Amino acid sequence: MRTQRQRKLAGVSVIAIAGMILAACSTTAPTAPGDDSGSSSSAESSGGDSPNPADIKIFMAPKFTGLAYFEVARAGGEKAGSELGIDFQYIGSDKPETTEQIATLTNAVPQSPDALVVSAIDGDAVAPALKEAMGKGIKVVTYDADAAADARDLFINQLSYELAAKTMLDAALLNSPDGGLVAFISASPTAPNHTAHVKIMKELIDTDPAYSSLSYVDTVQFAGDDATKSQQLALDLIQAHPDLKVIISSSAVSAPAAEQAIINAGKAGQVWATGFALPSSVRDFIKSGDSVAFALWDPAELGYVATIAAYQLVTGEITTDPGTVIDAGDAGQYTVLEGGEVQYNKPLMFTADNIDDFDF
Amino acid sequence: MRRAIRAYAPELLLVALIVLAAMWSSTLSPYFLNAVNLLNSAQFFVIFALMAFGLFPVVVQGEIDISLASTLAVGAVLMAKMSVAGIPLLVGLAITLAATAVLGAVNGVLVAHFGLPSLAVTLGTLGAYRGIAYLIAGDAGVTGITPDYLLLGSSWVGIVPSSVILALVVAAGFWVLMGRTAFGRYSYAIGASPGAARMAAVPVRRIRVSAYALAGAMAGLAGLVWVSQYQSARGDNADGAILFVLTAVVLGGVSIKGGTGKTEGVLLATILLGTIQTGMQLANVPGTSQRLVVGALLIASIGAPRVVHLARHAWTTSRRRLSPTAVAQD
Repeated sequence: MRTQRQRKLAGVSVIAIAGMILAACSTTAPTAPGDDSGSSSSAESSGGDSPNPADIKIFMAPKFTGLAYFEVARAGGEKAGSELGIDFQYIGSDKPETTEQIATLTNAVPQSPDALVVSAIDGDAVAPALKEAMGKGIKVVTYDADAAADARDLFINQLSYELAAKTMLDAALLNSPDGGLVAFISASPTAPNHTAHVKIMKELIDTDPAYSSLSYVDTVQFAGDDATKSQQLALDLIQAHPDLKVIISSSAVSAPAAEQAIINAGKAGQVWATGFALPSSVRDFIKSGDSVAFALWDPAELGYVATIAAYQLVTGEITTDPGTVIDAGDAGQYTVLEGGEVQYNKPLMFTADNIDDFDF
Repeated sequence: MRRAIRAYAPELLLVALIVLAAMWSSTLSPYFLNAVNLLNSAQFFVIFALMAFGLFPVVVQGEIDISLASTLAVGAVLMAKMSVAGIPLLVGLAITLAATAVLGAVNGVLVAHFGLPSLAVTLGTLGAYRGIAYLIAGDAGVTGITPDYLLLGSSWVGIVPSSVILALVVAAGFWVLMGRTAFGRYSYAIGASPGAARMAAVPVRRIRVSAYALAGAMAGLAGLVWVSQYQSARGDNADGAILFVLTAVVLGGVSIKGGTGKTEGVLLATILLGTIQTGMQLANVPGTSQRLVVGALLIASIGAPRVVHLARHAWTTSRRRLSPTAVAQD
């Protein structure tokens, strides 16, 4: 008897819940009591004549915290923050997971920052969270890895895909002047910049006479920004292709790890790894002569420019209209292109001549 | 009363911890105590909660499934592809649930019929199903999801997001399933002693395969929530999420050795983890500290019953030593 009554009760409650859902369902987001003050304060600061910098709050959210590359970019953002006298905060999870980043961004919104400076793990998945932020009057600037174009105001692109591809091939030729067979290691099939880099590098090798001495292994390997996996893949590539000359990676984790694997295998001077890497991670390779060249840009200056751009959007100094010029002082002037893209485009080539000039 | 307290001790501990976590979070951040923000944050944990509920009967049976996050990715990219192809939501959902249930059942068959260790089996399918998700989605992932597929993630009942309601309805379903049906009774029996369960004519293999199929289907449902909330799907969706899911199940008082655990515990553990993470994120606590807190909490929660047990044991033995008659009375 008792269980029967309980079952009836359960049935009734399920129906009641279903009824409630049908009756009360709405597709407009409820607003929090705190939201009004939040949006009006950012509206004030963006529309006001002379906003007080101390009232401006900018959050920088990397893909995940703890990676040297992002910490260097953070230093650039902090430099901009202290120069401008604004409230600059660095937020994020140490796990490279999309859900973690979305939770971080969504929890940033109620804190009413005036701008978010973001490097997206999954540009489409973070888009709803960023759009919600934009709907609350928060300016969104992406750096390093873009989000969906309608979910941010500006994208500060470190290097155009074309320039990045050329830079890495130039680095490959510095290592192996006679050219030869090249293999690629990317982070994942879903990293849009890595995928584009490899595609353009293949095209350049096929068509550009400057790179005609190179040929490539068509299959791309994926190491997920993991040093151990990169080392294994590098060893496998060397064994599978005895005539391999260069391993190229856009990942600042994989490129130095692959070089380390080459040295461990006793193949230094016969095979080279190159691509993008922090100078501190390849200094030893270059100084010992095992490697001739790696490339990158200055992540600190990239973070600096992105933060300056976010600040100028908040104060209304700049708009996202194509042709707008962002003046980042000593870091240079940058023009907004079609689609809100800003190209930083300052590749750095690290060789024995200049490796000691870089401290990151 | 005392019996009720003892029967629900792990759950009461979780409630106390949730209250403490909420108080701590509200001191960490002035933005925490806001019903709308809290409920919107709760949305993130729906995906994990659905997977945790699915994993719960499997763990009760003394097995494990670490492939669920990969199954979710298959579900999410399937849903996304079918949305783009113009297939109606309910048809798409039915196909996805069927497909992910089959993926789960494959795990179940390998474990129950071939007697393979579940950790090894699901470690293998963790990789294989992730590969299937990449194959379906392609390199770029899927965007341009149609509005009907987005409804769940962009509608509210009053101020409560629809996906949160879904999680509560699913919780009620599992409460009935595990507490009021033969499947639930058999699951606990199998977890307590598979041999004894078999002797008692429990259809062990069928119940095992059913549990894995159900876990797969729940991951598929979580895939729908993913697509509706994030308006896109990729092969790497929810990669690594299984740690959070497993934490929720174990923290909820479900013994990893099988045989015990309650639906309420899993729900409360998810709420606790959600409360702590939301509070720390609102206060911009660095990621490494967040992990430390969650790890410490897990050890504390599984350690607490053991400490209580040891303390009680020490208490009774010391009493026995004091009064020799107590032994005779036993």
